[in-house]
Amino acid sequence: MSTLCAGCGHDSVTGALVQAAFELDIPPHRMAKLSGIGCSSKTPAYFLRQSHGFNSVHGRMPSVATGANAANGSLSYVGVSGDGDTLSIGMGQFTHAVRRNLNMLYIIENNGVYGLTKGQFSASADLGSKAKKGDANQQPPIDPCQVVLALGGSFAARSFSGDKQQLVPLIKAGLAHRGFAVIDVISPCVTFNDHEGSTKSYKFTRDHYHPAIHADYVPPSQEILAEYDEGSAMPVELHDGSKIVLRKIDEYYDPTDRSAALTQIQQAQTDGEIITGLLYIDESKPEMQEINRMPSVPLATMSYEKLCPGNDKLQALQDRFR
Amino acid sequence: MSTRPGNNDFTVKIANVNGTGSASANALLMKTFFRMGIPVVGKNYFPSNIQGLPTWYEIRVSGEGYLARSGRVDVMVAMNAETYQKDLEEVAPGGYLIYDSTWPRAKTLHRDDISVIGIPLAKMCNEHFDTARSRVLMKNVAYVGAIAGLLDLDLDVIRDSLRQTFAAKAHLADANQQAIELGYNYVRENYQCPLPFQAIADNKTSDHVMIDGNTATALGCLYAGATVGAWYPITPSTSVMDAFKGFCEKYRVDPDTGENNYAIIQAEDELAAAGMVLGAGWSGARAFTPTSGPGISLMNEFLGYGYFTEIPAVFIDVQRCGPSTGMPTRTQQADVMSCAYASHGDTRHVLLFPANPEECFYMAVQAFDLAEQLQTPVIMLTDLDIGMNDWMAADFKWDDAYKPSRGKVLGEKELQEIEQFHRYLDSDGDAIPYRTLPGVHPKGAYFTRGSGHNMYGAYTEDAGEYQEIVDRLRRKWETAKCYVPQVEQEYSEQYRTGIIAYGSSDGAVREARDQLHKAGVGTNYLRVKAFPFTDDVQEFLDAHDRIYVVEQNRDAQLHNLLLLETRVSQEKLIPILHYNGLPINAAVITDRISQEVDKVVAA
Amino acid sequence: MKPTDTSNPDYFHKVVDCQWACPAHTDVPGYIRLIAQGRFTDAYMLNRKSNVFPSILGRVCDRPCEPACRRGRVEDKPVAICRLKRVAADNRGDVSELLPTAPKVKNGKRVACIGAGCASLAVANDLIPLGYEVVMYEALDKPGGLMRTNIPSFRLPVDVLDEEIRMIVDMGVDLRLSSPIESMTQLLSEGYDAVFVGSGAPKGKNLEIPGRYDDPDHVHIGINWLESVAFEHIDSIGEKVLIIGVGNTAMDCCRTSLRLGAKDVKVMARKPRDFFKASDWELEDAEEENVEIVINRSPKAFVMEDGKLAGMLFDVMEYDLDERGRITDTRTTGEEFFPATDVVLAIGQENAFPWVERDIGIEFDQWDVPVVDRKTHEGTRKGVFFGGDAAFGPENIIWAVEHAHQAAISIHKHCQGEDVADRLPDGQNLASAKMGIHEWSYSNDYDTSERKIVPHVDLATRFRELNIEVELGFSAEQAAEEVERCLNCDIQTVFATNLCIECDACVDICPVNCLTITADGSEEDLRTRLSAPAENIEQDLYVSPGLPQTGRVMVKDEDLCVHCGLCAERCPTAAWDMQEFSLLHPHVGHEAEPDTAQVVRKWGT
Repeated sequence: MSTLCAGCGHDSVTGALVQAAFELDIPPHRMAKLSGIGCSSKTPAYFLRQSHGFNSVHGRMPSVATGANAANGSLSYVGVSGDGDTLSIGMGQFTHAVRRNLNMLYIIENNGVYGLTKGQFSASADLGSKAKKGDANQQPPIDPCQVVLALGGSFAARSFSGDKQQLVPLIKAGLAHRGFAVIDVISPCVTFNDHEGSTKSYKFTRDHYHPAIHADYVPPSQEILAEYDEGSAMPVELHDGSKIVLRKIDEYYDPTDRSAALTQIQQAQTDGEIITGLLYIDESKPEMQEINRMPSVPLATMSYEKLCPGNDKLQALQDRFR
Repeated sequence: MSTRPGNNDFTVKIANVNGTGSASANALLMKTFFRMGIPVVGKNYFPSNIQGLPTWYEIRVSGEGYLARSGRVDVMVAMNAETYQKDLEEVAPGGYLIYDSTWPRAKTLHRDDISVIGIPLAKMCNEHFDTARSRVLMKNVAYVGAIAGLLDLDLDVIRDSLRQTFAAKAHLADANQQAIELGYNYVRENYQCPLPFQAIADNKTSDHVMIDGNTATALGCLYAGATVGAWYPITPSTSVMDAFKGFCEKYRVDPDTGENNYAIIQAEDELAAAGMVLGAGWSGARAFTPTSGPGISLMNEFLGYGYFTEIPAVFIDVQRCGPSTGMPTRTQQADVMSCAYASHGDTRHVLLFPANPEECFYMAVQAFDLAEQLQTPVIMLTDLDIGMNDWMAADFKWDDAYKPSRGKVLGEKELQEIEQFHRYLDSDGDAIPYRTLPGVHPKGAYFTRGSGHNMYGAYTEDAGEYQEIVDRLRRKWETAKCYVPQVEQEYSEQYRTGIIAYGSSDGAVREARDQLHKAGVGTNYLRVKAFPFTDDVQEFLDAHDRIYVVEQNRDAQLHNLLLLETRVSQEKLIPILHYNGLPINAAVITDRISQEVDKVVAA
Repeated sequence: MKPTDTSNPDYFHKVVDCQWACPAHTDVPGYIRLIAQGRFTDAYMLNRKSNVFPSILGRVCDRPCEPACRRGRVEDKPVAICRLKRVAADNRGDVSELLPTAPKVKNGKRVACIGAGCASLAVANDLIPLGYEVVMYEALDKPGGLMRTNIPSFRLPVDVLDEEIRMIVDMGVDLRLSSPIESMTQLLSEGYDAVFVGSGAPKGKNLEIPGRYDDPDHVHIGINWLESVAFEHIDSIGEKVLIIGVGNTAMDCCRTSLRLGAKDVKVMARKPRDFFKASDWELEDAEEENVEIVINRSPKAFVMEDGKLAGMLFDVMEYDLDERGRITDTRTTGEEFFPATDVVLAIGQENAFPWVERDIGIEFDQWDVPVVDRKTHEGTRKGVFFGGDAAFGPENIIWAVEHAHQAAISIHKHCQGEDVADRLPDGQNLASAKMGIHEWSYSNDYDTSERKIVPHVDLATRFRELNIEVELGFSAEQAAEEVERCLNCDIQTVFATNLCIECDACVDICPVNCLTITADGSEEDLRTRLSAPAENIEQDLYVSPGLPQTGRVMVKDEDLCVHCGLCAERCPTAAWDMQEFSLLHPHVGHEAEPDTAQVVRKWGT
């Protein structure tokens, strides 16, 4: 049972995650859920009880996930973080996880505010957005999707905790994606940031919501059944044989063109719109395990005999030191 | 304590500028003594800089096999004009100073009580070698030739070394050989050779290797079956991972698939490196991170996390001179306190103190076993002296029957059989719970958290539940005493004075004890190899009237740790401290103890 | 701009301003470094190789090196090169074992030298070691020529002079004193293989104005008068002395007068101070002794009173100058009388060869000066060579020495039946001075000290006797500081274009902004586009070919480089290197050496 405030967006995200995992039929113990510190990072405690959980220290979840993935790449890794955990204290580790293209789904439950310490602005707070007590934010926001694109990441999506229709397929796509899949989920804080003047409230988000690309997830065995208009649909095959069919709501938006996508996102930001959907995807980029030529047998379970060269080799080796 | 040099008992020190490639020349020189069967040890004093600052290399030739600095320079090769004056002053009376006389500076290089040997090294090399780089490199090789001439080194040994080093590049072997001969012939033609003290071939180095501690540590990690190494480059630990990578490329690449049976991850900082090690350890891989003091400071957060959540992990702290950035290329034993209780809250960590490269090899393996047996981070504290200097060590041997101790890990079968798994339950009474690895079985799933948890692994803010966990961790500490390596001691009932030391101070203590013994002062010796302290430590403290604690830091860190963790009285525990960044020598200990003994006798 | 051709020895030679300016091309930085190392004997011998008379020249050289010295462009005062030479001479050890010697077996060639001054002595110095027999004719009863007769002993002590003359004479010169040559025809008939005329320019110029011969005992021709003083024929002078002329001889005359009893000595100059021929230091030394220098007075007549000299009448002159300081117009504005008991005429010397018959193939020009080839020093008659003041009129000792070196080569070639014009060219050797990353085999730290002042004997003491040497010479400590002022210009910055990666490290580090990497252009254009504009057109630009990566060029303005070597220290690829330049300026020994490779080897070490 969640201990978050009633109506917290994060609980909706948890719901979407459970639904997606269920629909994908991932055995719970083959999934590892990791988080940092904050309201968002508490959520792994509330879902998939039969999965291994790791509630690490503030902002450092990406490094723990990196080590776990290096030891055992055969599990599905889901990281849940918040805007403070990712964009402030954990900005360094987040960006390096993007660089390594660590194979995991990384969800940012983004509410623009520090909840557990009662309402300070976070690094994702928009310029001019008002705090509960009325102060306007004076510093520009960090947009995680733009960061991912700027760093050459392989998957960037944005969604809204209030739109499971869009979020569930995105989570499925993110889990199926081989590489670092970032979903920035606007997840309003009912207690500290859902008032008039906040740009992360339910109302503001709905008023300025701009879905650009919808992603339909199609499992490996299934054929694409729905009918799409010529030119507006774009199927992308993932490594496991599944597909995502990208439906263009914006005619001109191309989520496979990095620089164009970045331009569109920046334009939407200028226009005060919250552009959502699968904003960018590149399936061709190798992830960390591939880059390091790691074996299919996880290092964690590799037999010691394979790892130890033995005494004869040690004796031969020492000639170098004489 | 200054004695006169003799055959196979002298110290050669080379003053140079870093970035000139002097390291290989110095290594060649040292290896020549070693291959002539004469025990030798090399100490490198280098700057935290890539090019242009002073660097020294000190080679102690010791037929007796002493490993510490001698504290005396018999032959100084003064290749750095900037430090001439200082280098000149350091030569022991009756010693020799070699300098590059290409630009004569005899006037500034004068001392009545030593002999100055001018060799036009740059001039000879400028005439013989073409490129600017090769001239500088060969100048270094040429002084090796000069020393060979002065100390009667075996030219065949040098020739063989060069052939071996440059097996693939014959022209380089020839050039080096030519440079050797330039220096050799010059001193033979212009000076009385050999000097009154020389190198005499012996057979004391068979079944030994010359190796540095970082390489040995890496080798230990390899043989322990470590698969994940995460690190952030930092002097003086960097070469641990360099060596590990080299070994992995040689022994861990699957010959059939070309896949790497290891993962080396260069992290964005030490915080991340520690996180990666914990993530990998949590997943069941043997994982380690080499670092130094500043890295330990950054890793404190995860060290506390690993302690509280009970995740096996190996940290290797190659200590350097602190505080803050300090002197990155100088040695100290000054991280003992910060490692012992690293991180906020009630924490304490298992520490290992290898004294030389040989122990680095074996203790690195032990570190992984202990980490998994005790389910906790283990920190192996070496230092720059051990880690980066070449030491003579008995050949490493490996027991092929060794199996890693993975500790209490429930596998798929065991999980299948039990009804329910609780992560932090002390079911065996040794305060060590069982753990599971992710992905093995649905029943093994649990939630790891640094926040308050109870013995079942659930979140708690309950006073009693919390305290039960931290009390068990304290009990686990007692269990750890049975697992950690025991002390090494030399004890005779007739002596009431004891010496306690650890790590790289060992060599100096051994030499000092011999000197004291010759002067009629008998001492007992205990070398601590681990924290927590085993019962032998308490017994040794109880058995002596005065116990000197020898260490290389200002604040008497092990001394203080003994006061905190044993029942010893402060009055009889006396620190002997050396902390200027250079490795300790015997004189520091001998002088101090003999002074105090004299005082006692006088009183 | 065309890439600099550094294979021509002149290029790097010119960078060593002092050596380039020295007529004998003395390796100045080389001997200064030796002095710095306390190797005085070696410094002396290095000097002697080029200029033959280091002790003498260390006191009285005209020092063309000093105005050229780079240090004088970096700050005000050049390195005290000349006086450092004296330091080497004063502090040297016994050199007798190091001096050239005559071979036991002579080559059978006989050479006559006329005059035993510096030129003839230097010719003997070069030829005797090759086996020549040298017969030297001297009109006076002591050798030394002008060095003895015309330089007062308070500037050049007699024992210093004697010692260096003896070094040559003792090699085996057949020195015939008090043997003036009365007839060249006669001499030529004596069967010498060659004749060298080093008889100097012994005739002082006269001043033909009214009253010149009315009281001839009190009107002296300066150079002859100095000679008489030197030989102690004259030991006093009147109280009021006028010196006519303002060259170095005039300075010697006025200061000598003070020592012979004159109380009021005035030097009368026709033109303003900028036109004086005397060296600055000679003027300074005279003025220090309270000699008054009166300008713009042109001699008009000697004035008598009772048949005795009472003084001189001068026209008062006025000059118009253009902006470059040249005289455009001259006017007389009046007359002025200056009383005098004695007048010394020091208005120059002229050649006089009354003993050379005019019908023996030795031609003279319209000024009665022999026609001499500037390079070979041969007159118009084969086998007769001229050097020193006898060749091209009055010059100083260092020029005479170089004349002698060149004439010796010609004499040798003539005697061996070779073409005297076919001579070895100058050569060069460059050796890297690199010892380590930050280490060079020379002192490259820029020493900011000012020029040290040479101490003098105080005024009261120095007038007590004529032969008290005024200059004391540098003490060891002063010399030690002064040598550090030398910028080691012979340690050349040598650029290897193919190694340059255009990292700018050299440009950034250069303390005097003499390096620039820029697009190529004409010299005129480049000079305006450098890190600092190169305005001294006397000094070259060192321009590389196009650099490997961008095709731009490396340009070095040689003008202000202080040879600190920082460019080479910071260069990661050794594209810049500091290399010690040695000039091979051939002497007759090199010409005589059969193997040229041998010559270079000799010079390289």
